[in-house]
Amino acid sequence: MKNLNGESYQILVDDDNTTVLFKGALRLCGMDDYAPILKMLKETLVHPALPIVLDLRELDFLNSSGITMFSRFVIEARDHAGIDLQFLASASVSWHARSLKNLQRLMPALKVCLS
Amino acid sequence: MMISQTLGTCGERSNECEYLTLAFSPLSAPLRSRWRNNGLSADFLGDYVTTFLPGEGGMDAGSRQNEIKHAVTYIANELLENAMKYHERHIDVPIGIHLELAKDHITVSASNAAGAGQAQRYKTFVEHLLEGDPADMLARQVEESAKSSESTASCLGLLTMINEYGAQLGWRFEVHPVQSEMMTVTTSAILPLKRAPGASA
Repeated sequence: MKNLNGESYQILVDDDNTTVLFKGALRLCGMDDYAPILKMLKETLVHPALPIVLDLRELDFLNSSGITMFSRFVIEARDHAGIDLQFLASASVSWHARSLKNLQRLMPALKVCLS
Repeated sequence: MMISQTLGTCGERSNECEYLTLAFSPLSAPLRSRWRNNGLSADFLGDYVTTFLPGEGGMDAGSRQNEIKHAVTYIANELLENAMKYHERHIDVPIGIHLELAKDHITVSASNAAGAGQAQRYKTFVEHLLEGDPADMLARQVEESAKSSESTASCLGLLTMINEYGAQLGWRFEVHPVQSEMMTVTTSAILPLKRAPGASA
């Protein structure tokens, strides 16, 4: 399992590079600081045959630069043929339902599972 | 010549309701070192308001309290990030964030110093934002910010406040009373409360 940690967040990627788990609060200073996370996300797109799952259920906070980072990833995924992308979200984290619907507008095939 | 101007919905500052002001000296630490303080301050403001919101009364009151707490935290964080990013470097004018809790709304505002050029660019952007439809602009901005340069992220933060948190935004551009070549730029977000804090749930 790969991981990427900061003071307020933890990101774990499973060995087959298809499930990414986010925990904590992402409030980095602009796109340069988000670049390593975006790079790691883009690496999941090399296996288009498998569903890619981004588990945000324990991600309590995301700033607007973080929204931009996820938008960039979703656009990249949209432009790859045959990508099955899913976001796992929590109904008890108030920003999840609101912000993820904007990502679905970018990629109508994106699945958001709210639990 | 620089003139003072108000755009959007600012509301009047009142000392009669619950309020809190934090001020940061921009010269005491570089931007990168103080970035983590944006999150700490925003979390503090979000936690602070919950004292004045009804938390008992079942699931609805609890979830409403959580929603308002998150909205205040998000808005405070975005406004502080913008104030820190766009503050004129090497100018000893404090960056401030102010929270006001009235019966039917919460106001969060942040201020920073800006040179004439920066203030004018921001004012032009604000005028554009006030003329457009916020929902359309957000949809466009999400796509554009994913493709374009860094500065559009600030637009996305403001548009998110309007569309996803129902905030009314206002801006004050004021000539600084001492450093007349500087403007103090204040961005305010008014967050309506469906029920008054302290009212029975």
